[in-house]
Amino acid sequence: MARYGMVLDYKNCINCKACETACKEENGILLGADNHRIWVGTKEIEGEFPFLNIASNNFLPSQCQQCANAPCQEVCPTNATYYDENSVVRVDPDKCILCSYCMTACPYDARYVDDRTKTVDKCNFCADTRIARGETTTACQNTCPTKVRIFGDLDDPNSEISEVLRTRDHFTLKSHLGTDPRLFYLT
Amino acid sequence: MTLKSIIPMKDISLKELFSFKKSFSNVTMAILTVVLLALFLAGSVMYFIDGHHAYNISREHPWGLIIAMYVFFVVSSTGLCIMSSIGHVFGIKEFEIIGKRAIIGAIITITTGFIVIALEIGHPVTMIIYNILTPNFSSAIWWMGTLYGAYLGFIIFEFIFLVRENHKWSKFFGLGGLLVGLAAHSNLGAVFGFLIARPIANGVFFPIYFILSAMITGSYLLFLMYGFRYKMDFPEEVKVMLTKLAKILGLLLAILMFFEIWRMLTAIYGGMPGRAEVAWHILGSSNFLIGEVLLGMVIPFIVILASKGTNIKGMVWASILGMIGIFFMRYDLVHDTQVMPLQLLKIREYQLPPTFIEYFPSFAEIGVSIGGIGVCFVMYYLADKFFELDHNKKDM
Repeated sequence: MARYGMVLDYKNCINCKACETACKEENGILLGADNHRIWVGTKEIEGEFPFLNIASNNFLPSQCQQCANAPCQEVCPTNATYYDENSVVRVDPDKCILCSYCMTACPYDARYVDDRTKTVDKCNFCADTRIARGETTTACQNTCPTKVRIFGDLDDPNSEISEVLRTRDHFTLKSHLGTDPRLFYLT
Repeated sequence: MTLKSIIPMKDISLKELFSFKKSFSNVTMAILTVVLLALFLAGSVMYFIDGHHAYNISREHPWGLIIAMYVFFVVSSTGLCIMSSIGHVFGIKEFEIIGKRAIIGAIITITTGFIVIALEIGHPVTMIIYNILTPNFSSAIWWMGTLYGAYLGFIIFEFIFLVRENHKWSKFFGLGGLLVGLAAHSNLGAVFGFLIARPIANGVFFPIYFILSAMITGSYLLFLMYGFRYKMDFPEEVKVMLTKLAKILGLLLAILMFFEIWRMLTAIYGGMPGRAEVAWHILGSSNFLIGEVLLGMVIPFIVILASKGTNIKGMVWASILGMIGIFFMRYDLVHDTQVMPLQLLKIREYQLPPTFIEYFPSFAEIGVSIGGIGVCFVMYYLADKFFELDHNKKDM
């Protein structure tokens, strides 16, 4: 049993969207603007030409934050959203009633409706695909050309992710909400 | 054992069922009911063909008009239950006459609420199964749904005993229905209040406000039900009851206005991100200013204040405006909770950074939810035909 997490060295992101494509391919995500498990946010350059603040422009890859204290899990009336044995927040489509409460409750806008099953879907660290096959990488991490992502077991002190979190300064998104995310952004 | 041995019903033929006095108000109501029912059927058919694609809900705005209308109906139900309990649970003499009419109204409105929400929840049958098999006790929706189920059971028994003139048991089930209803309804408020992701909704306000606004809704509905029943020509005991009801309503409206003022002040004060700008957005919207404040609170309040509660006819008319205001309260509650985008960066090319999320209901949503009022009217008409809803001498 592992406690999976992900570190994102987001300043290395070049917004090539290979991670989004790989995720769609690996997990069979439907096409369409609203059907995505992961995304890259773009912060546009501030200021007016020629006084442009180039430092303000950056890319922020994001997805389900795999909260240890997930608001979506707390609000799910039928426990369709659950923590699996690897502490990954997942959805059981058989139990999901599509009340959309999780979509309203998630502070990260990480959930969307899968039009095939008519249930709410989200990133599950490739638990149905790569992890189920015994691999220990995710599609987005494996494909990233600039090595933005490090995926691994937070409980294993010898894992790369544990080493990076020990040695580099990092932050989590909306941590004031008490969600305790397992996605860490390196500063 | 027949149904009639359980609950006394009137013997009416099929012809009698569809015949009514052709007065202006009756014919207007009949036409309105047919139009609303047609709207409901059209909306339902569109939903059964296209599913959620028939609705204008989106990833950013997953709850729409139908959720608002569900809240509207269940608030009406709880309100009627609370107001009727003044009489036959707490024993205030003048209010004992409203028992049957208010409780059948509560049963009808919550049933309509359940019908409407069944056309919004993606898998209502799965909900019933897994609500029992794998309940999540930290979910406000679980508590709300389960308690409302129990509440419906209580008020059905309450109604049966009221019609059977068994006041001991009707009081018992009335008290049960009241307590479970209060718990269910404040949990509905908590569905919004627990949303830590939405600072404008998060907090203690909604669970309390829901109970207060339910009582106001119940009062408006009683004015409307009695105004229509007696065609503005009220018997003395009804006049006495409605005058007292108007005074109570005046007090409730004053408290609501006080609550709303402090809610807005605390939301704006300090400029907390995600809360203050939404509060300013609400304050600048016509839905809030005209719908909620003017129609829902100020006009009925002025009518009560100007006549010290004695202008009952005026209050019946003001209650129509009041109910429109209540509708906007529910709609704004759902919409304003989601108006602030959670994703503040642009995630696609040729996209502007997200601002306030726009939403306007589709025809199917309007059909299912506004048309739901027609379902309510039909059930009330049938109930009025089958049961003796008027008070008798013993209730006075």
